[in-house]
Amino acid sequence: MNFVVDFSAIWPRVPYLLGGAWLSLQIAFLAFCGGMVIGLFGAMAKTYGGPWVRRPVDFYVGFFTNTPQLVQIYFIFFALPDWGIRLSPYTAVLLGMTLNAGAYLTQVQRAGFASVHRAEIEAAETLGFTRMQSVRFVILPHIMKTLFPPLSNLYILMTLGTSMASVFGVEELTGRAFNVNSETFRSIEVFVVAAVIYIVITFIATLLLAGVGRKFFRAKMSYL
Amino acid sequence: MFQQIVDAAPRFFSYYNVLFLLQALAATFLLSLVGCVLGFLFGFLLAVTRRTTGWRLLPLRVLTIVYTEAFRRIPFLVTLMLVFFAFQAVRLETSMFTVALISVCLIATAFIAEIVRGGLTSVHHNQWDAAAAMNFTYLETLRYVIVPQAWKVMLPPAFSFFVLFIKDTALASQIGVIELTFAGKVFANKGFPSALVFGTILVLYFLLSWPLARFGRWMEVKLAPTRTR
Repeated sequence: MNFVVDFSAIWPRVPYLLGGAWLSLQIAFLAFCGGMVIGLFGAMAKTYGGPWVRRPVDFYVGFFTNTPQLVQIYFIFFALPDWGIRLSPYTAVLLGMTLNAGAYLTQVQRAGFASVHRAEIEAAETLGFTRMQSVRFVILPHIMKTLFPPLSNLYILMTLGTSMASVFGVEELTGRAFNVNSETFRSIEVFVVAAVIYIVITFIATLLLAGVGRKFFRAKMSYL
Repeated sequence: MFQQIVDAAPRFFSYYNVLFLLQALAATFLLSLVGCVLGFLFGFLLAVTRRTTGWRLLPLRVLTIVYTEAFRRIPFLVTLMLVFFAFQAVRLETSMFTVALISVCLIATAFIAEIVRGGLTSVHHNQWDAAAAMNFTYLETLRYVIVPQAWKVMLPPAFSFFVLFIKDTALASQIGVIELTFAGKVFANKGFPSALVFGTILVLYFLLSWPLARFGRWMEVKLAPTRTR
């Protein structure tokens, strides 16, 4: 029971950890953007497609939302090389996270599509809006207002999800925390610092997203 | 490649391997179930504490807010490591399963506290006022007025959080808890084709999570509030 908390070995390595945090943010951002594109097509297919388009999308969404992201990346990283597809850890993680995000974002965006009522579009037509105008002034503001809060929640969760990349040897924040841990053996201190960095970066992200959502989309979002 | 999988399949699905996989599946399920049930209890306490009024409990309220905000922003892997090394620091011998269970509880408490808070807030303020007018104490108000109305709002998201968490517990394999993902790593290390092993693991997770998710959606429809105030 003679454990002493000692942060002195950690302070010089904080910039190194922050560099990892920057990589975490990059992975989350890229995977989110990729997922948005997949989700947009998935949601369109689910809303407007026939049964032969809907079914594969349903399968994709059902499978990816009901299995762990970690095992999906395991599959991509360890099983695909058997077919000759060899991916670097970074690419494998990014691909896994993008596919996973795509499944969740399909669900979210489909809900957004469903929230636009036919009557609204008809009203826009009655007022003489062109198609572009009704998309710009009627449909998009409405969709963004309902979608922005769940999207930003998902973004925060994805930032946390990037810690999984460390399992595959990507040196993002958690990966670098493991590195520092094996250099200094100040385990608790390292992970406390890493946790604090995670709290700070996601908190900043929440503030920014809530600010943007309130200002531009009139979404009801709290800053906490 | 497919030939290799087909060849290895009978060897892979031997009696003891399947038994091991099923035990691992049960461990995964138990980990998230026990974690979420305890998380619900503590989360409820936290949410109830957060709604109290009066300056004496102010430090407690601040503590609950800090706790929920912090633990919802720490990745599960980092929480696992923190709990793991905390036990090491105080030289306490515990099984890895306990460590994982405590981490699950810590995170589930924070997330479910927010869900419960949402449920309590969903009950219209008039109900609180009416209870106060009838001279109900805070606990009586909760017991007789608020919770009977709020549980329908809290249960579906709490359940979907539980289903979501089944998948997050895959990370517990990193500290050596013998659950489904860990079983997959064991089999892959034994030399079975990774496509077969991880494919099976994915399917098992799916078989566990899909019916529960469906049940959750059914419950959501069933319990949909009939009125908003």
